[in-house]
Formats: sequence, C-alpha cells, structure tokens
Amino acid sequence: MNDADPDATAAPNRLESLALTLIFTLVSGGLLAAIDIATRSNARGGWWTQPWLMPGIALTILACANAITLWREVADLRRTPPDAAERAAARAAILGWLRPVEYLGWFGAYLWAIQHLGYALATLAFVLFLIWRAGLWSPRWALAGVGLCVFMMLVFRVGLGVWMPAPDLYDMFPQAVRTVLIRWF
Amino acid sequence: MEFLWTGLMQLGDPSVALAMVVGAILGVIAGAIPGAGAAVTISILLPTTFAMEPLTGMTLLLGVYCGSAYGSAIPAIMINTPGSPVAVLTAMEARPFVLRGETRRALSLAYSSSFVGGVLAVLALMLLTLPLANVAKHFGSAEFAMLALAALVLVVIGHQGRRVEAAAAMAFGLFLATVGIETAFSTQRYTFGVPSLIGGIPLVPMVIGLFAMSEALVQLTARGATPPIVQLKGRFFDGFAEVFRYPRTLFGSSAIGILCGIMPGVGEFLAQQVNYVWARKLSPEGHLFGKGAPEGIIVSEATNNSVPPAALIPMLALGIPGEELTAMMLAVFLVHNVIPGPDLFLTRPEFVAGLYWTLLVMNFIIIVFLLLATGLIAKAALVNKRFLGVAILTLSLIGTYASNYNFADVGIAMAFAFLGFILRQHRWPLTPILLGLVMGPILEGRMRQALGGANGDLTIFVTRPISAVMVAALALLIVLTVRANWKARKPRTECQINDQ
Repeated sequence: MNDADPDATAAPNRLESLALTLIFTLVSGGLLAAIDIATRSNARGGWWTQPWLMPGIALTILACANAITLWREVADLRRTPPDAAERAAARAAILGWLRPVEYLGWFGAYLWAIQHLGYALATLAFVLFLIWRAGLWSPRWALAGVGLCVFMMLVFRVGLGVWMPAPDLYDMFPQAVRTVLIRWF
Repeated sequence: MEFLWTGLMQLGDPSVALAMVVGAILGVIAGAIPGAGAAVTISILLPTTFAMEPLTGMTLLLGVYCGSAYGSAIPAIMINTPGSPVAVLTAMEARPFVLRGETRRALSLAYSSSFVGGVLAVLALMLLTLPLANVAKHFGSAEFAMLALAALVLVVIGHQGRRVEAAAAMAFGLFLATVGIETAFSTQRYTFGVPSLIGGIPLVPMVIGLFAMSEALVQLTARGATPPIVQLKGRFFDGFAEVFRYPRTLFGSSAIGILCGIMPGVGEFLAQQVNYVWARKLSPEGHLFGKGAPEGIIVSEATNNSVPPAALIPMLALGIPGEELTAMMLAVFLVHNVIPGPDLFLTRPEFVAGLYWTLLVMNFIIIVFLLLATGLIAKAALVNKRFLGVAILTLSLIGTYASNYNFADVGIAMAFAFLGFILRQHRWPLTPILLGLVMGPILEGRMRQALGGANGDLTIFVTRPISAVMVAALALLIVLTVRANWKARKPRTECQINDQ
C-alpha cells in the first residue's frame, strides 16, 4: 500500500493518548458525580422509570471504559518509560490540537459573515481565504475555489432552493434588487 | 406480486429516477476520493433530503451508499491508496495486477464481483425483509429492547482490538441520547439550564460535525503528497467473465456479506476479514492470496457491496439500524414520519417496494457509469487533500445552519467536529457514538415499557422465549469474545478499526 501520507500510518503518541484519556476519564467521572443534580425530578414511579437510570448506566460504562483505557496506557508507559524525544513529541502533538481550533474559528467567522454579507459573498471569501490559509497559493487554486463557490450556489441555492436569511448588506440595495439577491445569492 | 409491482411504478417518478442517477454517480465519485466517502457525503446531503419525498431522499442517500462501495476500488487499484478500510484488501491484491500491466483486469474483476454481490444482496433484501417483519410482529417491548442491546453489543465486539474504546464511544452516544427533556416525567437531564439543550442533542449537526467537519479538519491539517495515477492497461472485459470461474468464492463471499450485513454492528470490514480467511483456506490457489490473486479481489469487493443492501433488512423490518450509514438514514425516515418496523409494510408498502427496485436498478446504473467513466473518476481520486478539506468544511455549513437556521446547532457541530478530529487522530471509533445516540431512545423506551408491564421484574427478559434466546445468544457471544481476547492478546496499535 501507498505510504506517502505519514498521518495515515503514524501511531498516536503514547503521552498524548494518556492526556486525552485522562481528560475523558475526568469528564465522564464528573458527569457521573453530577447525576443527582443533573437529573433531579419529582418522578414517583418504579425504579425503571427514574430519569437517572439511563444516563447512570451510560456514564458508568463510559467511566469504566475510560478508566480501563487509562490503566492500560499507564501500564504501557511503566513497562517502557517515555524518553525525552517522546515527551517533546507529545508536547508538540498536544499543541497540534489547536490547529483544528483555528479552522473552526474561521468557520465561525464564515457564519458571522453570512448574516452580514450574504451567502454568496461570504462563501467566496471563506473559500478563497481557507485555500490561501491551507497553503494552496497558485492562481489555479483560486480559480478552483471560485468554481467550487459557483457549484455550491447552483446546487444549493438555485437547484435545491436552500433558504438563507437576508444579510445586512442587501438592505443597501433597492427593493427589487434586494429580492433578487435574497432569492439567488 | 402486487406489492413489487407497486414499487416498480415508483421508478416512473422523474424525481426518483433523477435521485437514482445523481446518487449513484455522486456515490461512485465520493467513494473514489480518499477522504470523502459515503459517511461524509451522506452527512452533508442528509438535511437537503428532508425537503424531498421520502423515497426520493432515501434513493439519493442509498445511491451514495451503494455507489461509494463500488467507487472505493478505483483509488485502491489505480493509485494503490485505499480510500477506506474496506478497500485495503483490494489495494493489496490489485498491486501485482497493476505491476503486470493488468490494471483493467483488476478493475473489471472488482466491478464484476461488486455487481454480483450488490445484486444478490438486493434480492436477499426483497426475499428476507417481509418474512423478518412478519416474525417481528410477534415481538414485544422485551424483544425490541434486547434487539437494540444486541446492536450495541455487536458494534462494540465488531471493533476488534479497540473494543474498550468502542464501548466508551457507544456509552458516550447513549449518554448523549439522554440529554434534554425525558418524556415520562418531563425531567430535564444534563441540560444545565442551557435552553438549546432542552430538545436534546440534534442528530444532523452532530453527524455533520463528527463525520464531515472532523474529516475536513483532518484533510486541512494533513501532510504528504498524492501518488501518481496508474495508466489504464489491459483489456477491460477480461475480469468480467473471470469472476464466474470462482463461483464458490463469489457466491460464498456475497452470502456471508449478506449475513454480516443483516447482523447489526458487524459491517463490511469484519465481513471481509471473515470471508478472506475462509476463502484463502478453501481455495486451491490459497497460496496466491496477498500476492495478486483474482479471488482476493473477488472476496473483498463482493463482500463490500453485499453489506449495504443487507444492512437495510434489520432497519426496514425491525427499525434497528446496524451501522452508521443506516443510522443516518433513519433520520430521513423519522423526519417524514415513516416509522421503520413491522408495520411499515402495512402503512407504506409502495415506499418499501420502491426502495427495493431503486436499489436493484442502481447497481446497473453504477456499472454502466463505471464502464464509461473510470478514467475520469480516477482523476477525481487525485484531488488535493487540503482543497478537499476546504470543500467539505464549506459544504458542511449548508447542513448545520440551513437545516434549522439555528446558531446553537452550528456550535454543536463545531464541538463534535473538534471531538471527531481528536478521536480520529487517536484511532478511537466514531460509529459507536452515532449508534448509541440513535439506539439510546429505542433501548430506554422499550426497556421502560417491558419493565412497566412486568412491574419492574427483570426476569421478563428471560421468561419470554424469543427474548430469552436473545439474552442467551448475547451472553454466549460476550463470553466467547472475552475468552478469545484473553487467549490472543496483542498490542492495540497493531489492530485496525473498521470505521475511519
């Protein structure tokens, strides 16, 4: 098989996995501890009707499974302790969790822009910016981005008639133009 | 007969016919693009199908589902890059064919065995769904609760090497299903006073976040170059007739694929592994497996394509989705107030029969499309990963925001996108989360009904014969799995998972 993509084959860093499992264990334990407050009710039925029952079962399984994973990872690290390189790689990997946060931030900005600039303009700006941010800098990619936007407009706005709220920008146009913009862009 | 005739009439509806063609083509292309695939495409398309007629919407999604199973063979063979775990065996077996200059033979072997597997599975769907639904008419709440439990247990067991993580993911999905207002006493559970959580975790934003947006984030942050495409060499029709030289492998793989498709939680990957092992043992050319055996490609592709239609059998007959894609499709049913289960054949026979025919015809559309456009589709497989990420992320907005026009839904999708990204990076399975979310209300509701009827007596599950058999089978399965696990323990990093 092709192994050109290192991301597809690299095993996760053990310390990074441990950090993740620890977070999961703490969150599931915290949710389980809060069950009384989070499912408080005046239910007067049998035990099987109590609102805490299902979340209680689910969270118990979740907490136990996380604890088992954590125990296995700790045992593995005890057997073969991490060296300095693995620790450094773990720090870099945990910092790498911020990479998707950046893209999600741009996604949030895109959403904000839709309400103010309209779907067409916001999508064009978002796609071109993201293409540039992803390191695709040649004009060919910009053209592909414009093509993607046109495709999306044709499929979703024209073809499927997906409705989008009228943005602030369209208020600047005469009513007839505004109606056309709201319908198609 | 009249039932099937009613379904055949549905094909005359232009919107259904169009959905068949568009779904099939879209599915093949999505399957051929590593990183796109059926889960991403279906999750993005899901909200747009809510405005369609149920049969049209389902046809579109099923087209993507079936088409992607065919399309995944193209990058596996032509660029030796499996777009999904189910194409790994095809990539491995096809490599020697490509090196020998027999790319077209490998492709036609894959197409032909996919076609046979797909058509046989649709025939099984036509023959088995109604009898199963008739049996299910005798089911009570205890039996349905046990079926839901069985689906959850099987999905965990199906994640060999990652079962503890799969159990955690499934439990997380079950927990998510409980968030919001509980129906019996209108108690708020885990809403923490947040108004947008009162209605529960919405399925569509969660699906888009977990499956599509997280994939986009993986692609946007990925490194690595795309390998060059292989030139099409050899004669295209070489493999079409060749598959019938191995009838035992072809029909056996299809039959086991169908069986695994019917069993909730098993899926294509596990079915392939099972088939590959027995086919290698029984074949006189078993020594060639892994070194470019035609039978290896046949096993992989016939199994891969027989599972999707078969997975619809438990969903239509029992209302139990067996894997993530049928779980997504369940949303289309529920939005249109089409309740899958034994009564569906009485209330909407034209819908069920229409699904049968569209699935059957779809296989023919796909094979024609593949014969005409393989060279072009292969180029789609080379799309830049980061550009693909941009496209998926942009398309995701349509689903998350435009389905409900609710900003909270977008927030939920973004949260699940981040979670999905982290879980993918650490090879935690995602499918059990979705199945837990979908099956949670069914399990809780049915258990309450069963226990309510028995005044809280848990023996209700073992005193009813069908339920008792299910409990015994589940217990046996769990014991055997734990025992087998104990005997053959191996490092988790060596194991593969079946849904990422």
